[in-house]
Amino acid sequence: MKYMIMMFGSAGEMMDVKPPEWIREMIAFMQQLDVDLRDSGEMVFNAGLADGAAAKTVRLTGGLPVATDGPYAEAKESLIGYWVLDVENEARILEIAGQIAEWSGLVEVRPLADAPPEV
Amino acid sequence: VTQDPRIEGLLREFAPQALGALMRRHGQFDACEDAVQEALLAGFLQWPRDGIPDSPLAWLVTVAERRLTDEWRSESARRRREETDAVLDVPGRAPAPEHDDTLTLLFLCCHPALSAPSQLALTLRAVGGLTTAEIANAFLIPEATMAQRISRAKQSIKAAGAGFDLPPDSERSERLRVVMQVLYLVFNEGYLQRADLTAEAIRLTRLLYRLLPGEHEVAGLLALMLLTDARRDARSEPDGTLVPLAEQRRELWDAEQIAEGIALLTQTLGRGPAGPYQLQAAIAAVHDEAASEAETDWPQILALYGVLEHVSPGPVVTLNRAVALAMVEGPRAGLALLDTLDGDESMAHTHRLDAVRGHLLERAGDIAAARDCYRRAARMTTSVAERQYLALRAAALRGPAEARPT
Repeated sequence: MKYMIMMFGSAGEMMDVKPPEWIREMIAFMQQLDVDLRDSGEMVFNAGLADGAAAKTVRLTGGLPVATDGPYAEAKESLIGYWVLDVENEARILEIAGQIAEWSGLVEVRPLADAPPEV
Repeated sequence: VTQDPRIEGLLREFAPQALGALMRRHGQFDACEDAVQEALLAGFLQWPRDGIPDSPLAWLVTVAERRLTDEWRSESARRRREETDAVLDVPGRAPAPEHDDTLTLLFLCCHPALSAPSQLALTLRAVGGLTTAEIANAFLIPEATMAQRISRAKQSIKAAGAGFDLPPDSERSERLRVVMQVLYLVFNEGYLQRADLTAEAIRLTRLLYRLLPGEHEVAGLLALMLLTDARRDARSEPDGTLVPLAEQRRELWDAEQIAEGIALLTQTLGRGPAGPYQLQAAIAAVHDEAASEAETDWPQILALYGVLEHVSPGPVVTLNRAVALAMVEGPRAGLALLDTLDGDESMAHTHRLDAVRGHLLERAGDIAAARDCYRRAARMTTSVAERQYLALRAAALRGPAEARPT
């Protein structure tokens, strides 16, 4: 089954509350996670995103697309990374999501729409 | 495909010459380039098994030419595939091209009708002999996307009516400038993470320098790459976090590459007006020659940035001159120069101004303002390595008393 794990957060928030050692450990975890997911054959693709501060939102306004600064959701935390993974079952994707949540606090897991029905 | 670096080196060395030979006979860049690419893949598969042919170039040209005529004759792609395994018993007849067409090929791949990403991709494939998969992997995009980009680039060259000739004298210096820019972009693309791309940029620039030994800026570009790449091992920690120049362990710098870069510069500097690559290489050389940051000849670096700003003005040069100025006259002088960039449109959407300002504020002892700059810069950068570096820098400036428990 293919799922997307979406990680939410804010680089600004992280720098305000976390000590440097925590940031180093978090970086090491994320790097190792990507290596492990490739080794296990579960990684389809993934990407880290720049902080939401670098985002622009484009809205159709009066029939014209208008770009404004900032991410779509007004929340302090926005999408900062995602993984599309092909895993055995839901339990496995929740296990991976749980590991990520230990560092990022908030993770969304969603099946891909084109996932074939399980036989 | 092959793990043998000698075979890979030979195939990639002869790739542009084989393509040049085919182009002289048949003149169709798109089809010839595909045929050479297929011949390279055949070489990757066959040479480890059958041994390296007596004349690798003749082998490549013959195989590519058969692919080409097969392609033209075949009624269907299926038939071509069926023949693929049977073609390759090749006599050792050497075509011995009279010209080294590699230079013409470089100009063609860096044709001004193409976008920069297309110029990069096509140069790496047609001149560098990299496969589409390797190029896609290096730029972290899917292979199908890269194949399409290369295919469209070749169509654009055809549409622009470009022939397989060196550009006329009137266009030559501008076209050479584009070729150098493409090679420098490949180098920079590899600089942070992809050592293989950096090595390829240096290899191709060496090739260009061999073809044009009288062009001082080509020598300058090669020197700049060597002098910059010499710091590779010291530039990041094992986890990828960047180490700024001032804190690098200089014993890890590659002394041999530094010596080669300086020798190149010594041969060319002073023979005519210095161009931007020579000047940047000269600045890199001053850094590389210093045993520590404190022993760096900052007044000379400042003077060189002054010349560079005159020859090739731009906000990035001003930014770097501000760093040198801060080292010579103190952080406040550097900060004052940075202030002149505040209204600059191209600086408004990058992290670089804030990152440099953070450093100078930190040196000036204004810790709170420095931290704010690092934080803003970390939020703006799209480089993971730089974000890590800036986030750590910001976090380190926060006093322990301010750290909230989590």
